[in-house]
Amino acid sequence: MAHVVQALDQPSNYKDSQARVDRSKQNELLSRSTTLYIGNLSFYTTEEQIYELFTKCASPEDGGGIKRIIMGLDRNTRTPCGFCFVEYYTHAEALASMRYVSGTKLDERIIRCDLDLGYKEGRQFGRGKSGGQVRDEHRQDYDPGRGGWGAQAQRLEIERRREVEERYADATEGPGAVAGGGEDWKETEVPGEVTHKRGRSPEDEGDNTRLGHRSRIDDIEAERM
Amino acid sequence: MSNERPHRGGYRKRYNREDHDHDRRREPVETPEQKIRTSIIKMGEVDPLQEIPRLAQQIREQVPVVVPAISEGFRIGVTEQPYKIPYYAALLRLLHDQVEGDTNGAPSSTSSSLGKQILEDFWKGFQAFLDKLAWREIRLCIQFFAHLMAAKVISVQSMVYLLQAFSTVLDEFGVSYSRGKRAALCAAEGLMIAGAPLKTVSASSVAGIINAIQMYNESIVTSKFLIQPMMSLCSDATSLDNADELLDTALILLKSLEASNFAESSPAFPRPYLEYPDPENTTSGPFELPSILVPPEVIELDGLATDAGEDAQIKKEDWPEYYLHLFDNTITPDPTTLPGFIVRSNLLDIIDIFEVNRKECARLLLEYPKWNIPGTFKPQPGAPAAEEGLGGKDWQLESTIIETILGSLFILPDPSAKSVYQISLITELCKLSPSTVGPAVGKSIRKLYNALSDGLDTEIARRFAEWFAVHMSNFGFQWVWKEWLPDLALTEQHPKRAFMRRALEFEMRLSYHDRILKTLPEPMQLDPTVISDQAPGPDFEYDEPTHPHHDAAQSVLNLLRGRSKADEVMSHLDSLRDTLEISDTHMNIDTLIRFIAVQSLLSIGSRSFSHLLNAIERYLPLLRGLANGGIVGAGSGSSEAKQDILSAAAAFWKRNRQMVNIVFDKLMQYQIVDPTDVVAWTFTNVAGDSHLSGMRPLSLSAFEWDLLKGALDKANGRVMISRRKVAALRKEEDDTIARAKASGGADVASMEVDADAKPDETPAVESPALVTALKAFTSLTREQKAALSRTLEGFVSCLAPSVSDMHQNPHAGKVITQDAWDGRANWNADEWNAWETWGWYRHYCRVYSPYLRNYATTLSTVAFAKIEGSTEPPAELMKKIWNITTGQES
Repeated sequence: MAHVVQALDQPSNYKDSQARVDRSKQNELLSRSTTLYIGNLSFYTTEEQIYELFTKCASPEDGGGIKRIIMGLDRNTRTPCGFCFVEYYTHAEALASMRYVSGTKLDERIIRCDLDLGYKEGRQFGRGKSGGQVRDEHRQDYDPGRGGWGAQAQRLEIERRREVEERYADATEGPGAVAGGGEDWKETEVPGEVTHKRGRSPEDEGDNTRLGHRSRIDDIEAERM
Repeated sequence: MSNERPHRGGYRKRYNREDHDHDRRREPVETPEQKIRTSIIKMGEVDPLQEIPRLAQQIREQVPVVVPAISEGFRIGVTEQPYKIPYYAALLRLLHDQVEGDTNGAPSSTSSSLGKQILEDFWKGFQAFLDKLAWREIRLCIQFFAHLMAAKVISVQSMVYLLQAFSTVLDEFGVSYSRGKRAALCAAEGLMIAGAPLKTVSASSVAGIINAIQMYNESIVTSKFLIQPMMSLCSDATSLDNADELLDTALILLKSLEASNFAESSPAFPRPYLEYPDPENTTSGPFELPSILVPPEVIELDGLATDAGEDAQIKKEDWPEYYLHLFDNTITPDPTTLPGFIVRSNLLDIIDIFEVNRKECARLLLEYPKWNIPGTFKPQPGAPAAEEGLGGKDWQLESTIIETILGSLFILPDPSAKSVYQISLITELCKLSPSTVGPAVGKSIRKLYNALSDGLDTEIARRFAEWFAVHMSNFGFQWVWKEWLPDLALTEQHPKRAFMRRALEFEMRLSYHDRILKTLPEPMQLDPTVISDQAPGPDFEYDEPTHPHHDAAQSVLNLLRGRSKADEVMSHLDSLRDTLEISDTHMNIDTLIRFIAVQSLLSIGSRSFSHLLNAIERYLPLLRGLANGGIVGAGSGSSEAKQDILSAAAAFWKRNRQMVNIVFDKLMQYQIVDPTDVVAWTFTNVAGDSHLSGMRPLSLSAFEWDLLKGALDKANGRVMISRRKVAALRKEEDDTIARAKASGGADVASMEVDADAKPDETPAVESPALVTALKAFTSLTREQKAALSRTLEGFVSCLAPSVSDMHQNPHAGKVITQDAWDGRANWNADEWNAWETWGWYRHYCRVYSPYLRNYATTLSTVAFAKIEGSTEPPAELMKKIWNITTGQES
């Protein structure tokens, strides 16, 4: 239904500089993406606040839900720097967020959602020179502390800042630094089935295809490098 | 990648170039056909009445006339901009006229008018909608045809046949409610728009159609008991003071229209074509709509059944639609009047169609008056007043819009879109016109709040709280809480008090405890039954150095903090078990160990959702071991262990119920516990000290409902995923077979024998992947059934307990009588709790009815065993609600 108006669930023109897939491949990936980039967050906004808002677009009865949230951190200080990724289990949920949540307020700031190619190791950190997001370095306007309400509450500000600053102090890099969030249901008791001999059990099918396309991107990237 | 700067520069250049590419693609040069199509779609943006003749002229001047492009413009216009339908009818009416010199440039149009050619092509589009059973499009096309009939472009008799084709659907044997309701609305709206001429030509057909709708509506009357927005447990009355049911209303209106020969005291909606002289139908006559048959519903069966042989495929059914009235009929339209019904129908269609873009939707809603007869809505302040004697209805636009959006938000059992859509739509409206929409929102909130005392459905109350919180989050949490101060005198479980608590809790989840606290007047700030006195943090039971198990817990915590391996932690727990066993506890030692382990783990994961996931993933073997009863207490069963894990988690997050939901969800996701465990936990913990809602006798609040819903949705969602997997694998297999067959000619040696032996190409052996997927499907449907069944049992023990049950709620039977309800002003907390529990039972039945129907026999045999022969009122009511749900009560 887009004859009369433009649908809001279209991805933006953003092109991830470090994902070396061409435009058509990117569009194809976005057309089934389950991940959103969320921008313009307050530096104080918590994952639980994000969870609360984005869970309103979840469809658990359809096998969906919030798989994980990856908070964007300043590369140097390990503190939130105003963006995150929300990963759902289904594409429809990501689209629903684009239509209903993008452009509304969270923690008193208007947030922006964009369909994303999917989280890859290292993307949780800002890529700007200062350690934060590149887009913030282009900003002309002064945005003090990027505070939602969190920054305004004078009395509690120091305490809150300390908490926020410490929250991700233990954030690590490298493989396994970010949790997966739980995969689809699998049979737990596999009493010595033949499947093991083949090194890959058929019930992993869904996950393998998921990993499969991820590794395909990696391949493409490797080729280009 | 190490060289940041040049790389970044390159990136930006590329970005810009691609940007331009994109822009170019977006603005292609329009062909003349596209141009005419666009002109038709955009018709009327400035002044429809003036534009129609101009556009008609423009269309005629096209050389050559491309009918498909024109009719596509009409098709899109009619089905995507329902407010323009009367104007499109007027445009087509003008095109229907034979024009002198028409033969000039269009040799093909000599025999029939351009209008007829367009209609012929338009009809193909209508037929396509019909084949797909695209009901909204079908209904909007019928509105269009009805206007065209009124404009004398379409013959009256063929319109009668068209409407009859839809009323015939209502006589089909076993017609589904979704189909029946939609077909009835098609016929009803057609009659409303074109009733007068229809009745003149064939009064009996009109009466016949109305009668068919009435008979149908009477046949489904019982289901209304479950979805009325005001819950009445003691009365079967289907009409409500402050709400109306869509089909009921359509019938009331049709009957009154019929009685008055469809005469209108003042014009109900625009009919611009009536301004034009009657068409000269002498040459070719009016257009005859071809006859149709509404095609049957096609249900694709995948043939997947549970291990007990039940059908596991769910068929979502519609329910009757009740719309709440918040405002007086002088402020917002009365839907039992013709203009009122049409306005609501239009607004609902706009809300539905423009779901893809809520911002445009908001704009179109606020512009809606311009498509109406002047005087329908009160003019905006500053605008010239409407001329006297035109419409004179003077409804308030914003109140009408908000009432309609909230009406669709509160449809039971589920709103048509995710409720956050309606919520965001209202936000957009407020942003566009704060000074006019804001007050309408405020008034609506007050009306709804007052309805809470009079039985507003529990699920609607929950959605109301959710809307309130999200809305306030978008507008600085500015609400005048002071005006509700007197209600602090009500018992703390009164629906109004429950609403305040819930709304504030939802607000806090989106913001901060201290932020929300500050929005409240002091008496509320200080009342822990309104808002907690401290931020909703974790509660590690063993944190206090004085706690007898502080040291033990600390030792576990240190291992986890130091990222010790899971088996090290497990062996430490084992040794702890031996040491602690000596010291006395009133708690079971296995339970204690599980509590310490789970709470320590949650403690290291308490900093954020991600920390929780990391902690769970790092210690999955530990959690699985605990859950199996394997690490500790090998003797005690695993279901007991799982209950302990859930109890430990709920206790850890007892001040933060959002986290209880999240932790339970992820414990299910990682398969530490099953949905049935969560259901069982919820029902066993809705009584006693650990009850998070502090509700003593067995009863459920919205929080427990959220836990149940989380578990049931998880179970149902898994079956859904599994079903899709099986379908995909089967398709893959079929494709492989098809390919093999196709290449069979070449591969003679291997294929020929097979092809002869098995002409129906069913493979003798399914692939291992498919076998596994089918096995998973069987396990998951079993789990699904168990979770649904456990829920039903739980409700039985809450609402119709046997004499021996623990924590009986003595009020479950009491609150369902009329006398009790009339005296609700004096109800105490337990009585309100019992009433709310009934509300959640009713909601459980209607919202999961597609699943419950499939498993009706098994579920009721098990769960209703205790109340089988009981004639006690609560048992009878439970069974009645169940029977309506499963379609056994007529």
